[in-house]
Amino acid sequence: MALLTLKGIGKRYRQGELEVNALSDIDLEVKEGEFAALVGPSGSGKTTLLNIIGGLDASSEGTTHLNGIDISGLKEAQLSNFRLFQLGFVFQSYNLVPVLSALENVELVMVLQGRHKNESRQRAQHYLELVGLKNVMQRRPSALSGGQQQRVAVARALAAGPRLVLADEPTANLDSENATALLDIMHTLSHEEKTTFIFSTHDPRVMDRAERIITLQDGKIVSDELHEHEH
Amino acid sequence: MAAQPDHAQLDHPQKSHLPFWMLLMLAWRNLWRHRKRTIITLSSIAIGFGLAVLSIGIGDGSHNSLIRNAIKLGEGHLTVQPRGYIEAPANHKYLANGLLLSEKLEALNLPGSIEPRISLQVLSSTPSNSVGAALEGLSHQNDPRVDMLKPQLVTGHWIEAGDLRGIVIGEGMARKLKAKVGSKIVVMAGKKGGDSQAQLGRVRGIFKSQVTEMDDYLILSDTQFAQHFLEGEGADTTKQPVTRFAIFLDHPDTLYHWKNVIKTMVENKDVIAMDWQEMMPQLVQFIAIDDAGNYVFLILILIMVVFGVLNTVLMSVLERTREFGLLRALGLSRRSLLMLVFCESLILSLLAIVVGWIVGGGIHLWFSQHGIDFTAIMGEGGNVMMGSFMDPIIYTELSWDRVTQLTSIIFIVTLASGIYPAIKAARVTPVEALRT
Repeated sequence: MALLTLKGIGKRYRQGELEVNALSDIDLEVKEGEFAALVGPSGSGKTTLLNIIGGLDASSEGTTHLNGIDISGLKEAQLSNFRLFQLGFVFQSYNLVPVLSALENVELVMVLQGRHKNESRQRAQHYLELVGLKNVMQRRPSALSGGQQQRVAVARALAAGPRLVLADEPTANLDSENATALLDIMHTLSHEEKTTFIFSTHDPRVMDRAERIITLQDGKIVSDELHEHEH
Repeated sequence: MAAQPDHAQLDHPQKSHLPFWMLLMLAWRNLWRHRKRTIITLSSIAIGFGLAVLSIGIGDGSHNSLIRNAIKLGEGHLTVQPRGYIEAPANHKYLANGLLLSEKLEALNLPGSIEPRISLQVLSSTPSNSVGAALEGLSHQNDPRVDMLKPQLVTGHWIEAGDLRGIVIGEGMARKLKAKVGSKIVVMAGKKGGDSQAQLGRVRGIFKSQVTEMDDYLILSDTQFAQHFLEGEGADTTKQPVTRFAIFLDHPDTLYHWKNVIKTMVENKDVIAMDWQEMMPQLVQFIAIDDAGNYVFLILILIMVVFGVLNTVLMSVLERTREFGLLRALGLSRRSLLMLVFCESLILSLLAIVVGWIVGGGIHLWFSQHGIDFTAIMGEGGNVMMGSFMDPIIYTELSWDRVTQLTSIIFIVTLASGIYPAIKAARVTPVEALRT
């Protein structure tokens, strides 16, 4: 059974007098544990699709099921809880709360989930160690490099125990070395934690790490193929 | 370990909410994110608060000075007198059995003093002139009015015990009658039937109180001197008739307690007990109008505070739109986001109260000890108004009621200023916020 099922997803919005089709006729199934990349040129609809999957934006048509839940019909408060328990997010930039340390940033989502403070702390420490940030846990984001900040975001996304992690161009602001390191971490944890990853990118280095590449163009899926991983 | 699919989680009301400790921690840190801005806001609130405290303190200090002097110069905190006297004073309206009433009042053992007084409308004459006057027969040993006027003597001396002819007059009356110390003044009063009666008084001293009504019209004598006129009205002097008892309380805050006690004890169809506010309604009205002016000043300060807080919190909200989008994307509920921003206003308002009281309280403490000298504006005698006068050196005064009132107003206004930014923050939609 697929973890994520999209059926007939379309997204239209108005831009002045014009109606723009950001997405149309998107049918997609993603199985548990997949490490999939959404690729395509700028404006192809990658971010819009991720936002719809993540319940951040509503589709104009079609249905989205994640883990058996039809998120198209969820109310505002239910969507908050849905994102909290089912999803992890890694954004392109501004991923962390500036007034919280790396450790507190990772704890935040677990605290929101209602987990005990000690449990949240232990899990946060564990995941920060996994992403190689054991020595900078107490630092605030402003004292971390871009690569370190993204790794904190990955730790935060995974520590909360989501079914699916959505990453929108996670390496866009990173140099080659940091980008490769981050992708390696994401890939490793995806396998170890059996967590599904969908990330958007137009970075060939990232595509190279993906096990499945879904290509979007003008709001439509133009190809969906498995990719042989080099590692 | 991934979370299990659980539809119940979606409707769980407790989830997506920040626990209170984290709410406070985040709010506190957010507040100090722009240290300078927060300090400037707090400073402006503290200065505004200080000015409000000073303004209210001066207002209350000057009003209380006016009230204290009015009570001392006037009829005390409480007055027991014939019913209907205040509406239409007349010499034939008196308390015939002053002795009995005096015994009843003394039996109360109230902390303060009870002064018998006889007030009469008279005509005072010298060979040079005649003027209408108010004769006040009072006890010269204890009466606070004597304590107030004795230092104001400009010539002569005060009436001594057993001096049944001695009178003290104001400078205005002395000028009109061309009288000086030692002059004889004929004091004449009309009787109820239409006849008149007269006594000869001798001027022992002349005072200058700065209160024109007193300087021009007041004649002070011993009670016995004045009692002769009541005798002419048919009073039995063995029952020590008086016009009123002026009651001075050591603790003015017990006024309403004693008023009730005395009313219950002495009031009947002929006798009434009144407090100073009922006796001097013009003074109460004047203070109310003056207070209104102070409130206008307070409102201006509050507007300054509102804009200060609104500016700080709103700026901080607008700057953090993306951050709020992130928090909402991660699963933070709208309510928690609203509470977070509101909590920032709460902390800001609590800090503002603390800093405000440090500044305002400090200013008040200084001026309550050292006073503010208004001699240059008022002159040596103070500011005369409503039959009383304000001391030229004003000591700020703040009652606990005022402290509570000011604290509540500043707290509520500061907190209310955070409502709009909090609502604005809660309205952030993640997808739009993350695009910014």
